[in-house]
Amino acid sequence: MTAATRSLRQVATVGRIVIPLLVIFLIVAPVATVLVAQAIGPWLISVLNSNIGILRFVVAITAILLFSIPAAFIIIYMELKVIAYMNLRVGPNRVLPAGAAHSVVAGLKVLTKEDFTPNSADRLVFTWAPVLVFLTAVMTFMVVPFGPGLVGAPLNIGLLYLFAVGGMTVVGLLLAGWSSFNKYSLLGGLRSAAQVVSYEIPLTLSVVGLILLAGSMSIDSIARQQSGWVWDWFVFRQPLGALIFFIAGVAEANRTPFDLTEADSEIVAGFATEYSGMRFGFLFFAEYVNVFIMSALIVTLFFGAWNAPVDVNWLLHLVGVGPLSIAFDPGQLGGNLVALAAVVPLVVTLVLAAPFYLLRPEKPVWQSLLIGFLLLNLLLVGVLGLSAYVDWDWVAGLIWFMVKAFAFVFVFVWMRGTFPRVRIDQLMGFAWKWLLPASLLNLFATALAIILLKSAGIN
Amino acid sequence: MTAPAQPQQHPSEDDPRIMLDGQVGQYEQVPPYPPRTEREAEFYTLGDGEMFLNMGPQHPSTHGVLRVVLKISGEKVVDLDPVLGYLHRGVEKLCENSDYHHIISQIDPLEYVSSLFMEWAPVMAFEKLLDVQVPRRAEYIRVLTGEMLRIASHALFQGWMALDLGGLTPILYSFIERDEIVEALAALTGQRMLFNYFRIGGVNGDLNHEFMSRVGDWMSRALVQHEANIGLLNENEIFVRRMRGIGKVDRDMALRMGVTGPNIRAAGVPFDVRRAHPYSVYPELEFNVPVRGTKDGGDSLDRYLLRLDEVRESIRIIDQCLHEMPDGPVMARMPRLMRPRPGRAWAAVESPRGLFGTYVISDGTDQPFRFRVHDPSFVHLQLVGMLMKDNLIADTMAVMASLDPVMGGIDK
Amino acid sequence: MTTIPGMGLVRGMGLTLSRFFQPKATIMWPEQQADVAPKFRGRLQLLYDEYGTLKCETCFQCAQACPIECIDMGGMDTRGRFHVHWGPAETYGERREESAARRSGRPVADATFDRFDAIDLAAVDEVLDAHDYDPKALLPMLEQIQAAYGYLPVAALKQLSRKSGAWYAYVYGSATSYRHLRLEPPTVAAAAPAGEAHRAAEAGYLASLDAALSGKAGA
Repeated sequence: MTAATRSLRQVATVGRIVIPLLVIFLIVAPVATVLVAQAIGPWLISVLNSNIGILRFVVAITAILLFSIPAAFIIIYMELKVIAYMNLRVGPNRVLPAGAAHSVVAGLKVLTKEDFTPNSADRLVFTWAPVLVFLTAVMTFMVVPFGPGLVGAPLNIGLLYLFAVGGMTVVGLLLAGWSSFNKYSLLGGLRSAAQVVSYEIPLTLSVVGLILLAGSMSIDSIARQQSGWVWDWFVFRQPLGALIFFIAGVAEANRTPFDLTEADSEIVAGFATEYSGMRFGFLFFAEYVNVFIMSALIVTLFFGAWNAPVDVNWLLHLVGVGPLSIAFDPGQLGGNLVALAAVVPLVVTLVLAAPFYLLRPEKPVWQSLLIGFLLLNLLLVGVLGLSAYVDWDWVAGLIWFMVKAFAFVFVFVWMRGTFPRVRIDQLMGFAWKWLLPASLLNLFATALAIILLKSAGIN
Repeated sequence: MTAPAQPQQHPSEDDPRIMLDGQVGQYEQVPPYPPRTEREAEFYTLGDGEMFLNMGPQHPSTHGVLRVVLKISGEKVVDLDPVLGYLHRGVEKLCENSDYHHIISQIDPLEYVSSLFMEWAPVMAFEKLLDVQVPRRAEYIRVLTGEMLRIASHALFQGWMALDLGGLTPILYSFIERDEIVEALAALTGQRMLFNYFRIGGVNGDLNHEFMSRVGDWMSRALVQHEANIGLLNENEIFVRRMRGIGKVDRDMALRMGVTGPNIRAAGVPFDVRRAHPYSVYPELEFNVPVRGTKDGGDSLDRYLLRLDEVRESIRIIDQCLHEMPDGPVMARMPRLMRPRPGRAWAAVESPRGLFGTYVISDGTDQPFRFRVHDPSFVHLQLVGMLMKDNLIADTMAVMASLDPVMGGIDK
Repeated sequence: MTTIPGMGLVRGMGLTLSRFFQPKATIMWPEQQADVAPKFRGRLQLLYDEYGTLKCETCFQCAQACPIECIDMGGMDTRGRFHVHWGPAETYGERREESAARRSGRPVADATFDRFDAIDLAAVDEVLDAHDYDPKALLPMLEQIQAAYGYLPVAALKQLSRKSGAWYAYVYGSATSYRHLRLEPPTVAAAAPAGEAHRAAEAGYLASLDAALSGKAGA
C-alpha cells in the first residue's frame, strides 16, 4: 500500500471523489489547453485581429468594472475620514494604519450579511433594481477619457451617450423605491425621479454652450482642445456653465445639499430602506461611482481633462533640456545594462543603508540594510515613474486626471460635511426658477459671442 | 367516506392586531383600533390620495421614542397625530412612594438633557414646605450650575436642529461644547448626566478646585467658541431659508396653549420665570430677557436664534456668579428624616425648555401625599399638530426640533 | 444672511476646512481611558483596608439610603457573624423582582430560609400578633423575640420584616444597634470572632509603631 493510497483512505467520501478529479483536471487541463491552442490558435488570432474593436471594448469594460470597485472604496474611505476630520473626530483608525482598509472591510461585511427580501416586495424588480442602478453608473465610465487614448469607447457623440445613460439611473432608483413595498422607499424613489429629471435639463443645457465652443460632442476632442496652460481650460470661457454644471451634477449624484432621496432625518434611507446585504452594497457603490463620474465629468469638460495646468514641453524647452526620454531609454546601453542591473542596486542599497547604520550602530545590521533596500525601491519607483511620466502621455494624463477628479470628490465630501439639506420645494424651485434660466442665458450669451466673433473675423 | 375537510380557519382572524394575507395592502384604510374619540375617527379616515406615514417610535429624528402618525398627500402633511407614552414610567407615583430626599434622584432622569432643573423645582417646593432658608452660597452655586447646564442644553439643541435638517457637522461641535460643561459639572457632582446634586436646603458639596479650573478654562473661550460654532449655520442660506416662515406660533396661540420658555419669548411675549416670578438669587443678577418675533408671532428661525441669544445671557450670568460668589456654608442645617407639616407648595423654575413646576401636598409623613409635575415639553408638543397643517414632511422635523421637546419629560 | 448670496455657504465651508486641520477631540478609547471624576458614584464598590479586610460593616446604611432599593447586603461582618444572603450580587434583576413583590405585600419565596436553622416561628407570630404587626413597636417586639429564643435568629428577623412590612434593613439595624440584643446564641458568642485573625498583625504593627514613637502611637 503506497503512501498516496493510505492518505487517500483518510479523507472523506467527497474528498475521494474530488481529489482524483482534481488530479485529472490538473494534468488534462494544461495538455488540453495546449492542444486547443495549437488547433485553433491561428484562427483565433486572426479572428481577434479582424475584430480588434470588439476586443478593445471587452478589455475596456473589464478594466472599468475592475476600476469602479476600488474607486468606490477610496471615495467611501475619503468620505468617512474627511468628514470625521471636519467634525473634529478621528474617524476610522483600526484596519491598517489610519483605517485605510476600513471601507474594504465594510464591503466584505456587506457581502456576508443576510440578503433580505420583504414579504410583500415585488421580488423580481426588487432583486434587479440595484443591478440596474449599478450598471448604469458603470456604463457612463465608457466614454470618460482617463488619459490620452485611455477611453473605453471613443464615441463621437460621447456627451449625448453620457446624458442618455446617466438619466437611466433614475429608473433603477424608482424601481427600487416602488418594489420595496415601503412608504419611505416610495417617497425616496419618487423624490429621486422628480429631482433627477428636473436637474437633467440644466445639466444638459449648461454643456450646450461648451459644445458650441468646442464644435464637437466627442469628449475626447473637448479634452484635447484644453491642452496647454491653465487658462486654456473651458472653465475660464464658460464660468457660468461650469457653476451650473457643478450644482446640477451634485443634484444628479444625489449628494448633500440635494440628498433628498436618502434624507435620513425625514424618510429614513429613502429607496434603500428595505435593502440589505450586497443589494444595499450595490446601491451604495453606485452612489459613490456616481460621485466619481460627476467629478470626472466636471474635470473633463471644464477643468482641462487630463491636461497638466502647465505646458510641460514649453517648460522643458525653457530650461534647455531636450527630450529626457533618451536618458531613460535603457535599450541603447546594450550589454552594459546587465552589469548595471547587477551592480547598481547593491551599491545604492549599501550607500543608502550606511547613514542609518552609522546613526544607530546598536541596532542590528539587517535593519539598516532593509531600510536601505526599501529606500532603493522608492528611488526606483520614483525614477521609473518620472521616466514614465515623461515618456508616455497616458501616464501623465492619468495622474493629472486622477488628481483633479479626486480633488473634486474632496469638494463633494467637503460639502456634505458642511451643508444642511434643502427642502423638496426649494430644490425644484431652484432648478426651474434659477438654474434653467441661467443655463439658457449662458447658452444665448455663448452663441451670441461666437456669432459676433465669427462675423468680426476673429476665429 | 369522511366529510370533506373544512378549510383551515386562521386562528387570528378575529384578532384586529394581526394582519392576514388577504388584508395586505388594505390596512391603510382601517384604523389600528376602533376609534375612541371623534378626533381619532376623523384622523383615521383617509381622504382622496392620502396615506399614513408612521414616524417613530424608531426613527432617526423624533427626539426619543415619539411616534408621529402623519397623514400625507404626496409630500404635503395633511394632518398629524403624536402618539406618546413610550417612555412613561410613572414618575409622579414613584415620587409619592419615596422619601423627600429620594425624590431628587427619582425625578432626575425626567429631562435628561437638563436634569439639574428637574431637581431644582421639587427642592424649592420642599424648602417652601419645610420653611428652610437656603444659604446664599448654595443659591449662587445652583444658579451657576443651572446656567451652565442651560448653555449645554441649548448647544445640544442647536446641533440637533442642524442634524434634523441634514447637517452632519454641527451636532459634533455641539457635543464638544457640551462636553466641556458636562465634564466640569462631573468634577463637581460626580456624574455627567443625572447629577443628583441639589439637596433640600442647599447643594451636595462645595465648589472644588477642579471644577473651578475647568469653568475658568471654559469661560475664557466660551463666547468665542460659541460664535464660531453658530457661524456654520446662522449665515448658511440653505439653513435660513428652510427655517424662515415655517411653524409660526402667534401670540394668541402661544398664550392660549400655555407655551412657556424660549418658545413664547420667540413669539414676542417677554415671559421668563426668572423675571416674572423671581426665585433664588436671580433678582440680584443682571441679565436681559431676549425677545424675538414680530407682532404676528415667531417662526422656527426665531426660536432657534432666541436660544442662541439666551446662551449669551447665560454666559453673562455665569460671569456674575463667579465674581459675586459669597463665602459660607452650602447646606442649611437639616434633619435627616423630614416630616414637613401638612400643607401644599408649588415651585417653578425656568428650565431651558420653559416653565418647569412641581406641586407637592404633604400629609405630615416622610413621603409626599401628592406630587405633580408640570413639564413644558408636553405643552409644546401639542403645538406640533397645529403648526404642521399643509406643510411638507421635511418641515415636520424642522418645526419639531425648533420646539425642542424632550421625550422623558413628556412621557413622565 | 449675508449681502452677497452664497457667502454664508462659502464661509461655512471655510470653517469646516479650518476644523479639518485642527487637533481632534476624540478620546482614543480603549488605549486612552476617559477621566473619571473623584466624586463619581456610578459603580458600587466595597472598599478594603490595608490588611485586605473588607471595610464594609454590613451596617445596612447604604441599603436604607438607596431610593430604588437596589442595594442588598450579605456576607460576614467584622465580628464574624454570618447574616443574610439574598443571592449573589449579579442577580440584581431577580432581587429587584423579589423587592417588588415584597413591597406589594405578597409573600416572597425566599430560598435563604434554608440556610438557617429551621426554627419554630410560632413565637414570632405570637409576638407580632400581640403588637398588631405594627413596625413602630419594633424594639418591644425584638426584646420579646429574644426572650422567647434566647437570641435573635435571622429567620425570626426576616419573618418580622415580612409580616410587619418593615424593611429588613430597619429591623436588622435596630437589632444590631442595641447592646442588649444579640444575634447569635450565647454559646456562639463566646467563640472568638472571625475578624480576630488580623488583629494579631495589627497589634504587632501598633506595638512596633509604639516603640518607634516612644509610646505615643497608642494614645
